[in-house]
Amino acid sequence: MKRLILVLLVAGSLTAQYRSALPGYQYSFPRDHFDHPEFQTEWWYYTGNLRDTEGRELGFELTFFRQGVDRAAKPATWAVRDVYLAHLALTDITGQRFFHAERLNRAGPGLAGVDEAARRVWNGNWNVTWINDSTMHLQAIDPRFSLSLQLRSRKPPAIHGENGVSQKAQGAGRASHYVSLTRLEVSGEVKLGEERRQVSGQAWMDHEFFTHQLDPDQVGWDWMSLQLNDGRELMIFQLRRRDGTIDPNSSGTLIERDGRTRHLNQIKMTPGRRWNGYPVEWSVEAAGVKLLVKTRMDQQELVSKQPQAPTYWEGAVAVSGDATGVGYLEMTGYRAAVSFGKP
Amino acid sequence: MIRLFARLILRPLRAEPVRTLLTVLSVALGIAVVLAIELASDAAAGSFRSSMETLAGEADYEVTAVGGVDEQLYARLATLPLPISVRPRIEDHAVLMETKQTLPLIGVDLVAHALDATTTTPLADSQGELILASASGRKAGDQVTLRVNDHDYRLTVRAIVPSETSFAVVDIEVAQRLLNRPGRVDRLLVDAPEALEPDLQRALPPGLTLAPFGARTEENRKMLVGFRSNLIILSYIALVVGAFLIYNTISVSVVRRRSEIGILRALGMTRSTVLTMFLAEAAIFGVAGTAVGVPLGRVMADSAVGAIGATVQNLYVSSQPGIIALSLAASLKAILAGLLVTLAAAWAPAREAAAIPPVEAMARGRKDYDTGVRQYRDLAIAAGCALLSLLASQMPAIGRRPLFGYISAALLVLSAALATPAFVHAAMGVTRKFLGVTGLLASQSLDATLRRTAVLIAALITAVAMLVSVGIMVGSFRETVIQWIDSQLKADIFLRPAVPASADRFPTLSVGIAERIAALPMVDMVDQFRAYPIRFRGLPVTLGSGDANLVRRRGAFNLLEGDPEKAYQAMINSDAAIVSEPFVSKHNVHLGDTIQLPLGEQIHPIRVVGVYTDYSNERGYIILHRARLLRYLPDPAPSNLAVYLKPGTPVVTAQRAIETALGDSRVLVLPNQTLRREAIIIFDRTFAITYALELVAVFVAVVGVAGALLALVIDRRRELSLLRFLGAARGQIRRLILCEAGLIGLLAVIGGTVLGGVLSLVLVFVINKQSFGWSIQFHIPIAILLGALTIIFSATLLAGLYPARVALALNPIEVIHEE
Repeated sequence: MKRLILVLLVAGSLTAQYRSALPGYQYSFPRDHFDHPEFQTEWWYYTGNLRDTEGRELGFELTFFRQGVDRAAKPATWAVRDVYLAHLALTDITGQRFFHAERLNRAGPGLAGVDEAARRVWNGNWNVTWINDSTMHLQAIDPRFSLSLQLRSRKPPAIHGENGVSQKAQGAGRASHYVSLTRLEVSGEVKLGEERRQVSGQAWMDHEFFTHQLDPDQVGWDWMSLQLNDGRELMIFQLRRRDGTIDPNSSGTLIERDGRTRHLNQIKMTPGRRWNGYPVEWSVEAAGVKLLVKTRMDQQELVSKQPQAPTYWEGAVAVSGDATGVGYLEMTGYRAAVSFGKP
Repeated sequence: MIRLFARLILRPLRAEPVRTLLTVLSVALGIAVVLAIELASDAAAGSFRSSMETLAGEADYEVTAVGGVDEQLYARLATLPLPISVRPRIEDHAVLMETKQTLPLIGVDLVAHALDATTTTPLADSQGELILASASGRKAGDQVTLRVNDHDYRLTVRAIVPSETSFAVVDIEVAQRLLNRPGRVDRLLVDAPEALEPDLQRALPPGLTLAPFGARTEENRKMLVGFRSNLIILSYIALVVGAFLIYNTISVSVVRRRSEIGILRALGMTRSTVLTMFLAEAAIFGVAGTAVGVPLGRVMADSAVGAIGATVQNLYVSSQPGIIALSLAASLKAILAGLLVTLAAAWAPAREAAAIPPVEAMARGRKDYDTGVRQYRDLAIAAGCALLSLLASQMPAIGRRPLFGYISAALLVLSAALATPAFVHAAMGVTRKFLGVTGLLASQSLDATLRRTAVLIAALITAVAMLVSVGIMVGSFRETVIQWIDSQLKADIFLRPAVPASADRFPTLSVGIAERIAALPMVDMVDQFRAYPIRFRGLPVTLGSGDANLVRRRGAFNLLEGDPEKAYQAMINSDAAIVSEPFVSKHNVHLGDTIQLPLGEQIHPIRVVGVYTDYSNERGYIILHRARLLRYLPDPAPSNLAVYLKPGTPVVTAQRAIETALGDSRVLVLPNQTLRREAIIIFDRTFAITYALELVAVFVAVVGVAGALLALVIDRRRELSLLRFLGAARGQIRRLILCEAGLIGLLAVIGGTVLGGVLSLVLVFVINKQSFGWSIQFHIPIAILLGALTIIFSATLLAGLYPARVALALNPIEVIHEE
């Protein structure tokens, strides 16, 4: 599941035109790596922990969102059938600096979109291109920094939830189709300022599509993807309700060394130290292991220029406890309740 | 020292308040005009930023193409792996029908802008919605009607943006639809570091222009240089006339105080103190004139800005007049100019005062004016100046500025001023023989006071000459334009969209209108003319297309160079163009040359096969055959239509039929006669500011005449009283003064006409040709000139009335007792 920076900018979207995420969905790859315009919301999410040849530690996030506005819009160049939002962030852990950028586009004459034939997801000059079924190239340019990374998947796609759906709230359709590439081996270049750095590390890809998965009573969530040094990965999330309780639909997935997945219903996430209201340290109990998840840098909050767009925290973390490793943590709804639009 | 100054200089000034006031007023008017023109031309041409530039915000580069930029290029640049940002814009104008106000209509990518905190406008349904500036007086949710080209559209106000200038913003999709520009945007604004310019250039097709942002502003500034400098030079005429009057005033005060100066010198006052005293007197006029002139100039700027704005709009570029700002720099410039001119004008008489030997004190009574003017030497210098002026008139322009033309004109004025004493002397020799006793006395008096009357007459001659020469120039221009319109406007009825157009703004008619009209039974044929504002070698030019077949049959262009038949054939069969005369002189292009013209994405070589006369604007035209241009710029919408009727069809009938055929299109249908009238009205509006400047100069001169005559009367109290004693009737005295005034006026009118005639040659054939590249046929607007000269002559006569009253009020006994 996760992250919704959604596109609150889009008023009065026509949900009825779209299909809900229901049990029984049959995945087919590589087709399902690309877009699903029959669902209203879709995102591709790349995060990773990197290190350059001189030992400098870095984290990155590149996210592509697609939000359906009007499927019935005339197929004209500038018609707003969907809007495409993208977020880019770079954490210079060693230098204690955090950069982030955002952009919004319609498809227009080729400004943003998903092209299955060209195996490409892009928004302006931020893009991910599949070179073959398990390798992709990621490129993102910002005046302050740029990424050019090769991502090679070491495991098959991990499908979360049960029977093809990851349930997010009570009720049919309050769910998403959710698939991850949990172990992406990274090599490439990060340009920071005028310096080009050769980097390597681990990345994670989430791809999720759905129509209106959340409940109005849910005010935010905490999500993490952890890549353990024993070769396993763990994805867990909890949904926080308005009354302070945790939604029973909170869940997770354990990915074994060989890629087999185990759905986790029983997870426990306990917040620890806080920075600016965000719990930046967590104690986690899931799949029989106890882990301590700590941020690698406090300031990894993404504040949008647009006051109506939500502000959230997303950043690189380090794992210790029963196993060690790295990962990414996302927390929303701490500044203001995240609005999910009209049901 | 101060007390001395007060007695020698200030007391006489106070004693003759009317004369002092008149002198101050003339200086003040001169300064006011200079300042007003400076302020108004700044405001009118804005900071030379068109309203579009102001609304564009900041960017590093802009990408443009003749006929618009393909929208695909926006995506191509936006996805380049370079740290740049790209924003597309569509820019035109629309009329907000609720207020009848023309405002910039700007199409932007509202989706891409939605993340900017400043645009609190969600995208949602971008169809049929617009954002308006608060200056429009509408509020969010209002329904408004926008007239774009020849259509009205109903739109909903989505949001109001606080702004003092009016504009309307729509999404790029809406802009393309309203303006009928599918697949195109007008420009791409690019933020990119300078180091990436070569990469950007490589990414663009050859026909596209990558220019630093604001280049258009710079180009507009360059284009307006000639216009502005001519206007500013013109504004200094009133100040120059004022300078003659200062010279006269200071001369008078030196002559009157000759004996006092002699005594003071005998008592040990140094020459430099005397010089300083009289320069200080001039400075008083300068300072007082400035004090009145600066606020007056600010007020005059308000009325001038509209007139100058109209000229800029008609001839060059559409720009909304900016706010008039009384800047310190402009004020200082006017103050400095005023003080310098007054001091320079006072220099010669003040030096003469300093040269008065102490022995003057011994002379009993008043030694009157020094008639020993070195007429012959001055005449020789005048001839030399005239010769130099002739030489200067043959020199070429320097950077499109007719500097030698100005020098030639200035030398002519100087030459005339130097020749004036001899002229007056000779003229008085003639008049004393013909005008009876009063005339004899008046002539002798003027001749005797030649030194000061000559200056006075020279001032008036200058003002009259300016009026005459500019009058002849404008008159020639007007006549030329009228003849040109006659030959150009051959069609019976003209059509254009019912929205304002200007030199760089060409609204278009809907496609299909031309065909509907051509199908009408009374219509013989319809020519479609299309214009695009483009850039050629860094300057704005108009690219147009018409039907060369039709032009060939009707001969609507007046070719100065090139064989018409061959030229039109070449236009039809090849990439050939005819160009207008200002284009040729501006870009130094000749018949037979090939120019490289960027059209769409490619650069095309175009041969120049003809040069035609055109006076409609100063930017210059490149005209291609319609079918040829459509190959490169495939937008078929015409900017205007020329309809030729079948012989014998009444225009009114045809006009009605055309209006019916137009349906709900908002199009102006103008019969030939109406368009001609409109063209002349526009012409006159364009030159309105010139007339206004002339009038101020003449007014200053007439004020000067009144002041100077007053001084003459006061200085001749003795003589006038003696005449009364000898039995002269009051009527005779009045006649005498009026006769002198009349003689001054007459001489000024004659001299001014001669000088003006010569100056007009310089203006028409040197200054105009070099600044604007227009061939003008010399034409003297006799009726208008006669009228103007009569008014000036009458004004000088009237200016004699007050001095005459003063003369009559003198008590002869008292005056004689003074002796």
